Amino acid sequence: MKVSLFITCVSDIVFADVGKNTVELLERLGCEVDFPAAQTCCGQPAYNSGYLEEAKKAMKQMMKAFKDSEYVVGPSGSCVGMLREYPEIFKGDPEWEEAAIDLANKTYEVTQFIVDVLGVTDVGSTFKGRVTYHPSCHMTRILGVKDAPTKLLKNIEGVDFVELPVKEDCCGFGGTFAVKNPEISQEMVKEKSRHVSETEAEYLVGGDMGCLMNIGGRMRREGKNVKVMHITEILNTHGKEQGGEIA
Amino acid sequence: MSIKISEKPYKERIGQGIENDFMRQAVSSAQGRFRTGRLTQAEELGNWEDWRQLGSEIRSHTLENIDYYLYQLSEQVEKRGGNVFFAQTAEEANEYIENVVKKKNAKKVVKTKSMVTEEIGLNETLEKIGAEVVESDLGEWILQLDEDPPSHIVTPALHKNRQQIRDTFQEKKGYNKSDTPEELAAFAREQLRQDFLTADVGITGCNFAIAESGSVTLVTNEGNAEMVTSLPDTQISVMGMERLVPTWEDMEVLVSLLTRSAVGQKLTSYITTLTGTRLEEEVDGPDDYHLVIVDNGRSKILGTEFQSALHCIRCAACINVCPVYRHVGGHAYNSIYPGPIGAVLTPLLDGYEDHKELPYASSLCAACTEACPVKIPLHEQLIRHREIIVEEEKKSPVSEKIMMKGFAQWASNPAAYKLSTKVARTALKPWTKDEYIENGPGPLKGWTDVRDFPAPGKQSFRTWWNNRQKGGEA
Amino acid sequence: MAIQNREAFLSNLAANLGRPQKREGVKRPEYSVAPQREVFKDYSTEELIEVLKEHCKVIHTDFVRTRKKDLAETLKEVLDGYEAKSIIASNDRRNQDYGLDVAYEQFADTIDVHLWDSKLGKENQVIAERTDVGISFSDITLAESGTVTLMTNKDNGRSISLMPKCYIAIIPKETIVPRMTQAASKIHQDNENGVDAPSSVCFVTGPSNSADIEMNLIVGVHGPVKVTYIVVD
Repeated sequence: MKVSLFITCVSDIVFADVGKNTVELLERLGCEVDFPAAQTCCGQPAYNSGYLEEAKKAMKQMMKAFKDSEYVVGPSGSCVGMLREYPEIFKGDPEWEEAAIDLANKTYEVTQFIVDVLGVTDVGSTFKGRVTYHPSCHMTRILGVKDAPTKLLKNIEGVDFVELPVKEDCCGFGGTFAVKNPEISQEMVKEKSRHVSETEAEYLVGGDMGCLMNIGGRMRREGKNVKVMHITEILNTHGKEQGGEIA
Repeated sequence: MSIKISEKPYKERIGQGIENDFMRQAVSSAQGRFRTGRLTQAEELGNWEDWRQLGSEIRSHTLENIDYYLYQLSEQVEKRGGNVFFAQTAEEANEYIENVVKKKNAKKVVKTKSMVTEEIGLNETLEKIGAEVVESDLGEWILQLDEDPPSHIVTPALHKNRQQIRDTFQEKKGYNKSDTPEELAAFAREQLRQDFLTADVGITGCNFAIAESGSVTLVTNEGNAEMVTSLPDTQISVMGMERLVPTWEDMEVLVSLLTRSAVGQKLTSYITTLTGTRLEEEVDGPDDYHLVIVDNGRSKILGTEFQSALHCIRCAACINVCPVYRHVGGHAYNSIYPGPIGAVLTPLLDGYEDHKELPYASSLCAACTEACPVKIPLHEQLIRHREIIVEEEKKSPVSEKIMMKGFAQWASNPAAYKLSTKVARTALKPWTKDEYIENGPGPLKGWTDVRDFPAPGKQSFRTWWNNRQKGGEA
Repeated sequence: MAIQNREAFLSNLAANLGRPQKREGVKRPEYSVAPQREVFKDYSTEELIEVLKEHCKVIHTDFVRTRKKDLAETLKEVLDGYEAKSIIASNDRRNQDYGLDVAYEQFADTIDVHLWDSKLGKENQVIAERTDVGISFSDITLAESGTVTLMTNKDNGRSISLMPKCYIAIIPKETIVPRMTQAASKIHQDNENGVDAPSSVCFVTGPSNSADIEMNLIVGVHGPVKVTYIVVD
């Protein structure tokens, strides 16, 4: 199966390992991965801030970049969720509507792709440790991916999975929200960090680097010894040394 | 009161909310209970999504045909001996009600909890002409005695603790017992019973008016609405024009959604449906009945992308799941309608000028949208507000505009984008220590005040990919 | 009676909706789902009584079941439990069917008994206010929520269920339906058939309560503090 990686700008620039793990994982599951180099950002920072025209410029670039792809798979529920909203945004636009629908229909978040398209729920990895999972808001509520990540996680041999209290609560990231309303965002991430501590987990896993960067950054500031991992990293521990800290 | 409750600037209100430990504790535990109650009810039904779907279809149909159903409603009320006044503005509504009260030479008015009368500032109007106005909902009564605005649309005194309530009762009403909720409530019962019995006029809000029969439905737990509508001979119901359903069958569905979503009850203790004046030889209920239908800015929302905000049934489910509300409390919104629905409605009803920060007081986590029993896309409407603030109102900061222009150029130009992936690490180098930034510049400052920011990796993903393609490091 | 400002108000709404005003021709659509009709759909009366009984625990309401011939005795026991010195009851036609007319006469030997009397006008409210227990019949009983539906008429004032500290609802078994859906449908059908809705229809679910102080549930605020349902076979 041919898959185009949608790296997301955050992972491209800051968290290259997330991309490496995604590529290796998909290849191990039999996919042929390519990387359309013309991709940039999904447009969400501008879109969510009310800059629709600016956002559309980014979105058009993404539609061009993935024009020829069969499947587009990305390691972020939030960014994939944004691509899935393109049809609504370009509704009635004679030039772009079709491309928007095409891209939305072939784009998947990586765990969603593995479970729903590849039909795999056990990727055959092993990982030892107490693990909790933060289901990011956009992954669950906007993209509607609720079960795939934990299904895959729980099937990793050796994982001692513990549920995060009030897991559906936002961590306070919210993109530009964290910058525009730092006072409120702070209180939200402090609360999330408390909930992570309550689990006594050694590892916090998530499917969105935005949230993980936020929670991880807070926990580091608090001096907490919890390792933060993107879900592709833990799924890709097969035959490798056990993962480290990436956020 | 009006929609706006203070003159304090946004950041000051946020700060005060965050510093109010008691309030935050109270809100947090209330949210927990509300959430459990609502989810338990939804789970018991098993097909909650069907219920939400039905609720949203009823609301859509009603709003699409609001002129038809309001016409029918007014005809039916008149047929049952009532008067109907259509008020386009708060002033018109207040003036009409003031005249009814004057004509009755009324000394005392008892009220049920009603957000729309808060919105139009009815109490102040009536007090100005010398009428004593008594709020009879326990929470509202506490706030009235303490001259404090509501912070939640279902439990208005959520931000107050029992000691504060006892002190208020002592100071204003000579109360001399303990601060147990039971004794406080018993005192309210005894005090307010006298008010019910001696009031000349009863004023209620309206949860749902039923067009087919000209009825008004009130959803309460305390029994105060029953008192207000049974005892005084003159009764006035005030409704926001959208609080309307076609038939009893529609009312029933929305009441089921409301009580479950608001308080996790299958039904509240009293669902009271009143139609016109009392009939011949009946004793309870009014012999003079008035229905006041209020627009006050709502009609401007019709026909716009915000129309579904008028579907709101005021259950507060969105408020009860909102993490922002949890940390800043209701007063920080500076609106009698707080939380996500408040952030959507307030700028629509009261303009952007005083409320331009509200649409940004959300991480767009969409918990509100998921909780809404009538499927209002609340977080999407917040984005629409932001678009209007940027595009039409031109109220976004200059620095942000420049940044977003830059963003568009960067993200639409693969070469510029590629370059940035190479230089990001170097650009942030001056602030980087041990692969983290702990004290960032400019927009990063708000972030690094309380958390660390990871430095961009030594190699971008695309560099790694290109090397790998060339047969390099894999 | 008057309707004021209607024309300007409604034409403004229609203008905002971008169409001419509608005075007729609007039909409620067939909604795509009807989950409310699925609740306890095929339950027998016995099963519904069980649902009602269970839910009474949630709504702080005492549940008693009796037979018609034992109703007077059962009622007296509940009244004794409330230490009632006075009662006020609806002047319901059903009082005769259920032997309550005779019972009330007997009760009057030991306690004050007042039957709602429309000729007394407001005096009924004054009496209700000082009376210990109110008694009336449920017109439609909702099993799901434990709700009695009280329809006002000249012989059955709302004050009965509202003003006294205790309230007893007599629930004829045949009034029990699954949920509010059936009650609303009946009133809607009546309305369609030209039968006007009562001036008040109250769906009462247990005693009054409030959670306005620190979210603590307080049972008994302005309405009754204690409620008993007597289901009669």
